[in-house]
Amino acid sequence: MPERWSTPETTVVTGAAGWLGQALMHRLRADPARARLRVLVHDASETAVFDNAENVNVIVGDIADRAVVDALFDGVGADADVIHTAGVIHPKRVSDFFDVNTTGTKHIVSAARAAGVRRLVHVSSNSPFGTNASATDVFRNDEPYNPYYGYGQSKMEAEQAVFAAVAGEDGGAALDAVVVRPPWFYGPFQPPRQTTFFRMVRKGKFPVIAGGHQRRSMVYVDNLVDGLLLAELTPRARGNGYWIADARPYQVTEIVETVGRALRDEGFSVKVGALRLPAIAGRVAEVGDKLIQRTGRYQQQLHVLGEMDKTIACDISAARRDLRYEPQVELYEGMRRSIRWCVEQGLEL
Amino acid sequence: MAGDAADGRRYVSGLLDAAAIAAGDALDAEVVVVGSGAGGAVTAALLAEAGFDVLIVEEGPWVEQESVRPFSLEQMDWQYRAGGVTVALGLPSIAYTEGRCAGGGTEVNSGLYFRPPVDLIDRWTTDYQIKDLDPDEIAGIADEVEQALDVGKVPGRKTPGSEILRRGAAALGWRHSEIPRWMTYPPGGDAVTGKRQSMTRTYLPRAFAAGARMVVDCRVDKLTVGKGVATGLSVRYSDGTRSEIRCRHAIVCGGAIQTPALLQRSGVRGRIGRSLAVHPTVKLSGRFAGEVNVPDDVPVHQVKEFAPDLSFGGSASHPGLVALALSDHWAEFSRAITEWRRICIYYAAITSEGRGVVQAVPGLRDPLVTYRLTHRDRETLRSGLARLALLMLEAGADEVYPSFRGAPVVRNRRDLATMQQSFAASKASVMTVHLCSTVPMGEALDRCGADSFGRVHGTSNVWVNDASLLPSAPGVNPQATVMAFAIRNVRRFIETNGRGDA
Amino acid sequence: MRSVPSAPLVGPFADRLLALDLPELDRPRRAEVVAFAARRVDGLPSIMRIGVLIIATLFRVALLVPGSSAFVRFVARTPLPLFGEYVRLIRSLGYAYVWETWPGTQPTGAAT
Repeated sequence: MPERWSTPETTVVTGAAGWLGQALMHRLRADPARARLRVLVHDASETAVFDNAENVNVIVGDIADRAVVDALFDGVGADADVIHTAGVIHPKRVSDFFDVNTTGTKHIVSAARAAGVRRLVHVSSNSPFGTNASATDVFRNDEPYNPYYGYGQSKMEAEQAVFAAVAGEDGGAALDAVVVRPPWFYGPFQPPRQTTFFRMVRKGKFPVIAGGHQRRSMVYVDNLVDGLLLAELTPRARGNGYWIADARPYQVTEIVETVGRALRDEGFSVKVGALRLPAIAGRVAEVGDKLIQRTGRYQQQLHVLGEMDKTIACDISAARRDLRYEPQVELYEGMRRSIRWCVEQGLEL
Repeated sequence: MAGDAADGRRYVSGLLDAAAIAAGDALDAEVVVVGSGAGGAVTAALLAEAGFDVLIVEEGPWVEQESVRPFSLEQMDWQYRAGGVTVALGLPSIAYTEGRCAGGGTEVNSGLYFRPPVDLIDRWTTDYQIKDLDPDEIAGIADEVEQALDVGKVPGRKTPGSEILRRGAAALGWRHSEIPRWMTYPPGGDAVTGKRQSMTRTYLPRAFAAGARMVVDCRVDKLTVGKGVATGLSVRYSDGTRSEIRCRHAIVCGGAIQTPALLQRSGVRGRIGRSLAVHPTVKLSGRFAGEVNVPDDVPVHQVKEFAPDLSFGGSASHPGLVALALSDHWAEFSRAITEWRRICIYYAAITSEGRGVVQAVPGLRDPLVTYRLTHRDRETLRSGLARLALLMLEAGADEVYPSFRGAPVVRNRRDLATMQQSFAASKASVMTVHLCSTVPMGEALDRCGADSFGRVHGTSNVWVNDASLLPSAPGVNPQATVMAFAIRNVRRFIETNGRGDA
Repeated sequence: MRSVPSAPLVGPFADRLLALDLPELDRPRRAEVVAFAARRVDGLPSIMRIGVLIIATLFRVALLVPGSSAFVRFVARTPLPLFGEYVRLIRSLGYAYVWETWPGTQPTGAAT
């Protein structure tokens, strides 16, 4: 088995206009060896990003619509890799999770098998595994499922669809697939809503619950792209899932302090401090989040606040070992680049 | 050998027959050791060998190792307190077990041996201000203990129950190892032919050979203590007669529940009974394709990937215990009982943030014991049990039965999600077999009940030398740590109190 | 307190509970199991024993009243706080005894 495959003739990318998708496309388009790119975006407005590039075929449509996925795979065969980044994290309604994340993935898996592609890389999440039991616990590479509400459930079911195809469970052809699990990501190409994060830190109002000793793994978006491409091109990764993250988890207090420092070093004024909340605040937000999701609705701020008192930390040794993955950028540098990108885009921080 | 002592009392190799002690006869000794388990037996043996006149007072009976079946209800009748039904009240309550017999817990435990963890010794020294606690000295003592107890790994084949744990951990890439036990094996022996090197086989005979005496079936009601000096013990024999035993030193080794209770009954004040630390465990049963159950065996493999927070191991799995494990959701699980030969029970144990309390109640024989689990403890129990269930699947289990009320049968990874989402510690049968920390040792008066060598603060001749001294539950089977500390403390006692009267 | 034997208080409920849980466990065996459970309750530590006997007394009285079968069915199936612990204790003792003593017993209590 070779250590690495060469790049395929065709690369299929879903979610190409999303945060991760754009970062990925940026890298793929810079690689002359990537001859043909077939990409899926949700809205016609998103095609502008690709400046009518010759080697990029853009398909527009809803991934939950099988016909759209069939159109995406038209002419795709064994000399293709698929990188599936499409997903919804903060939806309008809970049912969006299942339509896009689960049904959409099932369509992709099915079409990929039918086309006989070389490999599918599926972007999953930490959410199927819930949160760590304590601030000192870290998720190993293989953990039991414990989905965190709607998003987690939808991503768990998506993973299961992928693994079932790898095992050839329904008697069909086995699919060569790798699951990549990134935690909270940050970096350039972030959507406008993410600027709230920087604004809260500037105002000294970022919520730090119960002392902020909880640890969060994060991944700078280019580190994640490195990981995706390694997962795509490393033959022995077949059938496995990998955490792809920065080298170590960060304490919440460290995150607030580091982001503050990065903002200051990029020339912004930053009010020192944070919105210190007792532990109960996180629990109340979590209960509120749960109740609202049960009704099928979704409230983003409540969801994020409900997660802020949790530890979500993962161990990347398996990716290091099998994929030779090494995170190149860490939090301070990554946040500075993120801030600079926002400024370049004319976003208000 | 039976015989008549010069003073007319009958004894059996140093073992005094309590019934033969005439009513009203008072015994006396230079040192009375209360309890004959991992702490007491070692204390008595070393003191006797140094020339002290030692009397061991044991509440329970003397039961020979092979006379009862290990882990059976009969053993629980004879060698456990309250037939094994002792509970620390709380939400949830935590069931625990205490040995109550000559040799104490060492006669009934799994026999697994863990060297005292070095980083823990350092942390205890710092947090509890323990003087002269030298990790090298402890290591040296551990070496001696390993010799004395024939500590070693299983020669030959392990049981299928052990192999399951090893296989599952290896498949997941989780750190695991075979834990040595104190056993001797016949030539060509294997996992099930070992003889446990418990205190009745090792340190108690040594104590007798050095001249120590022992009464069994004799309960200490209280120590007679005035102005910090103990002059004797009030005891009660099995026939109900009471007596007073005079002593120059009293060393209490009744275990983490009985030791603080006795001190409290004796009016000794201080940080006693407040910081009980246990290893809360939850369990599950796994069903496999072949006949994997070896009823009298406890698996020797443990998974330490998540130490010190979490550790996995195997439990005794004879059919009565399998039925008990399935009883939490009998409606769903009962059909599995007929296949008990294909089933083994495993546990997930945590180190707990929460602590408990032991409080003697005037007029009642037994103390009130309570325990509190924190949110983090409950979450760690949940994730621990789920990880263990995953390990079972990876080891080839076709069905896993987690022991909590309303638990689903787990057959695949998806069921693990259902399991975690329906788990609550309050629905589980939480239990512990390790109890520590009720008279923590050290010079920090705000948290320690005894000094750096086990002398109870505020007294001059009352000592503790058992698991009560360990400042926290060590996250590993504690017997070796208890013994190593006990030996260290006895050596200091001998230095400071000189050789005993011949 | 220790002089109060638990068998008269615990026995009847234990008997009814086991008859419901393990309907095919024959009478002599069931009696043996009930005797074992009562023996264990006799040996319980002080405070536990007091608590258990108080609940046992309440349950014993409930059995004397019409509708007691419904009562037994209810407590057998419903996880009640505190009272549920008594039911769990009797069950644990009972099942442990049955399957240790007669390992071939069927889930219904029938001998092999």
